[in-house]
Amino acid sequence: MSEQHHPLVVQKIQEKYPDAVLDVADARGELTVTVNKDVIYDLMAFLKNDSELTYNFLADVTAVDYSLMEDTLMKYDYARFMLVYHLLSTEKKQRLRVKVPVHENELSIPSMASIWKVANWLERETYDMFGIIFENHPDLRRILMPDDYEGYPLRKDYPLRGRGERETFNFEQQNL
Amino acid sequence: MHKDPDRVSGEPMTLNFGPQHPATHGTLRIVVELDGETVLKATPHLGYLHTGFEKLGEHHDYNQYIVVTDRMNYLSPLSNNFGYVLAVEKLLDIQVPKRCEYIRVILAELSRIADHMVWLGMGALDLGAFTIMLYGFAEREKLYSIFEKTTGARLTTSYTRVGGLMRDIYDGFEEDVRAFLNSFPKTLKEVHTLLTRNRIWMDRTKEVGVVSAEDAIDYGFTGPCLRASGVDWDLRKAEPYSCYEDFEFDVPIGANGDVYDRYLVRMEEMVQSGRIIRQALDNLPDGPVNVEDYKISLPTKEDAYGNIEGLIHHFKIIMDGHGVQPPKGEVYCATESPNGELGFYIVSDGSGKAYRIRIRPPSFIHFQALPHMIEGGMVSDIVAVLGSLNIIAGELDR
Amino acid sequence: MGLESQLGDNIFTTTIDKFVNWGRKNSLWPMPFGTACCAIEMMATLTSKFDLSRFGAEAIRFSPRQSDLLIVSGRISIKMMPVLKKIYDQMPDPKWVISMGACASTGGVFDTYTLVQGVDGFIPVDIYIPGCPPRPEDLIDAVMQVQRIVEQESVSPKKRSRAIAS
Ligand code: SF4
Repeated sequence: MSEQHHPLVVQKIQEKYPDAVLDVADARGELTVTVNKDVIYDLMAFLKNDSELTYNFLADVTAVDYSLMEDTLMKYDYARFMLVYHLLSTEKKQRLRVKVPVHENELSIPSMASIWKVANWLERETYDMFGIIFENHPDLRRILMPDDYEGYPLRKDYPLRGRGERETFNFEQQNL
Repeated sequence: MHKDPDRVSGEPMTLNFGPQHPATHGTLRIVVELDGETVLKATPHLGYLHTGFEKLGEHHDYNQYIVVTDRMNYLSPLSNNFGYVLAVEKLLDIQVPKRCEYIRVILAELSRIADHMVWLGMGALDLGAFTIMLYGFAEREKLYSIFEKTTGARLTTSYTRVGGLMRDIYDGFEEDVRAFLNSFPKTLKEVHTLLTRNRIWMDRTKEVGVVSAEDAIDYGFTGPCLRASGVDWDLRKAEPYSCYEDFEFDVPIGANGDVYDRYLVRMEEMVQSGRIIRQALDNLPDGPVNVEDYKISLPTKEDAYGNIEGLIHHFKIIMDGHGVQPPKGEVYCATESPNGELGFYIVSDGSGKAYRIRIRPPSFIHFQALPHMIEGGMVSDIVAVLGSLNIIAGELDR
Repeated sequence: MGLESQLGDNIFTTTIDKFVNWGRKNSLWPMPFGTACCAIEMMATLTSKFDLSRFGAEAIRFSPRQSDLLIVSGRISIKMMPVLKKIYDQMPDPKWVISMGACASTGGVFDTYTLVQGVDGFIPVDIYIPGCPPRPEDLIDAVMQVQRIVEQESVSPKKRSRAIAS
C-alpha cells in the first residue's frame, strides 16, 4: 500500500527543498530521506502541515554514531552522528524516516519540541546518550543518567562496562 | 480537572513522590508542587532503572538479544520477543511459516491479557480495591502455567527465535488455552460488577487525567491510551503485521480520554484478544515452525545430538560471527504491544551483531504527558492517572 | 522442667531470646524494594496462589520505618543505589536483607555501565536467591531461611555479630 505513496512524498520534498536532500532510499518498504541540517526544522513543519503528507505523529527521535561505519561516514562528509526521526501519518497510514547528518565539531540541531510535544523527552534522551545539543529546547537536561554523569554512553567509543562509574558513582548525587 | 482558582491558597509545598512508593510500581519519581491539595506543577524524574539495553544490543548477536527484550516490558515479555524478531526478520527479508505466525499471535494476545490483568489489579489496588488485584493475579497464574509449559519459564520467556520459535507448542496447548478463554470472561464480569458502575470508582476515575485527541497525538500517545482519547488507531488494523489481517476483531475506542475510558478500553481489549486467540486456534495450520534456511534456524536437537552434520550445523550457527547475519541496512518495525507502539529500529552493518538497536518505548512517551494530565488536579488523582498509564519501569528507562 | 511442674499447666518458661525470636520470625514485615521483573514475581508470591502470609510475612510495608525485612528484587542502577542505601539506613534494627534474583545479587545478564554489580557491595545481604527471576517458591524458601537466621539472633547487643558494612 505504501509504495505508491513514496514517489509523491519524495517529489514534494524535493520540490520544496531542492538543494537540501542528500539522499533518498526506499528499501524494505520504508522510505528514508536524508537532508541537510539547515532545513530540518522547516522541513518537519512542512511535513506535518502539508495537506497531502500529513505526517502528524512523531514516533521516535534518536541518533546513530556512525564512527565505526566507514562507508556511511565517507558518504556524508565524515559526519559522525546521524539524527533519525520516524514520522507517521495516521491519516494516510504512512511512515517516513528523516535522517540528518551532524558533524562532531558542531554538535547541535534545532529542537522539534515546538512542533511536537513528544519531541521534548526524546531529544533529552538523545542528548543524554550522545551529547547532541538541541537548540531552543525547553529543558535540556540529562534524563536517564545521573545529573553529574560524565560521558555519553551510546557513543561508540564509550565502553559497554563504563569507565568505572559503577564503582565510583556519587552517593550524594541526588537531592533526595 | 478542577481548575478553580478559589481553591488555590497559601504557600506552595513541594512533595517528593517516589522513587520508592507503592503506587509507582517500579522506580519513577515525581516532584510535585502542591497548594493545599491542588497540584501546581509536577516534574517527573526517571532513569532509576536505566539498564543500558540499547548499548547491550551492540554487543549481543541477534538471537542473544531476545533474552534482553524479555526484561523490558516484563508484564508481557512475549510481545517484546515478537516485536523484536519481526524487526530482525524484516531486516533479513524472510517470511516465517504460517504456523509460527499463528502461535506468535496467540501468545502475544495471551500476554496482552496478562499485561492488562496486572494493570487492572495494580490500578485498582492503588485506588483501594484490593480484591481486583487478587482476581487479576489469579488469572495471570493460569497464563503463567501455559507460558511455562510452552516456553519453560513463567516470566522471562525468550520464546521466539529469528526465523521461528524455540520449539513447537506442547500437546494439550489448545485445551489449556481454550479452558482459559472460557474462564477469564467470568473474572472480567466480576470486575465489571465490582467496578464499572461503582460510585467510588467512577468518582475517582471519571474526568480525571483527561487528554484530548489532539493532545494525545501531540504527546505521541499510542495503544489503549490513544484509543481512550477517541482516536481510532491500532497497528494491528492500520498496518497489519505478521498475520493480523487474517483475524476479525474490533478496536474499542473511548470518548473522553479520562482514566475511566482507559479502564473501559483495556477491559474490552481483553475480550477482543480472546476473540483473536479463538480464531487463531480454530485455524491453526500444520507444518514446521521454523524457516528452512540453514543459515538461520538451528537443527533439531535429534540432529545436533545424533549425527555429525547436525552437530557441525549447530556449532556453525552458535559460533560467534557465524549466526544470523542480516545484510547492511536499517529497519524500523512497530508492533502494537499491550501498552502501545513498541518500535525497534535496527541498523545493521552486515555482521552478526546489530550496529545500533533503538527501542521506541511506549511507557517513556506516555510518562512525558503526566504533568499535563495532573497539573491543576488533586493530589490523589496522581495515583489514579499514573495507574491508568501503566508505566513499566523496565521499558521506561531501558 | 522443674519450675513448670510447680507453676501448673498454663505457664511456660523460656529464655527471652527464644521468646523474642519466636515472635520476630513469625511476623516479619517485609519492605519490598521491587524495581524490575523480579518484583512481578514478588507480587505473585504475595497473591493468592503462593500466599506469603502462610509464613507470617504478609504485612507488606512500603515505609522502611515499619519493616524489618528488605527484599531487594530487581536491577539496581547507580542512580537507584543511593536510594536503596537510604532506605536500608532508615529501617530500624534488627533488620534482614534478601537479595532476590541475579540482578540484585550480581548484576545478572546486564554487565553494563549503569548497573550496580551486586548490592552486597553497599549493604549487607543475608540471603541471596538465584534465578532470573526466581520462582515464587524460591522467595518463600528465602523467607524461611531468614526465619532460621532470626532464630539465632539475640536481644543482647553484645551477642549480635552482624557486621554493618558501609
Ligand atoms: S534477575 Fe532477571 S528477572 Fe530479576 S530483575 Fe534481573 S533480569 Fe529481571
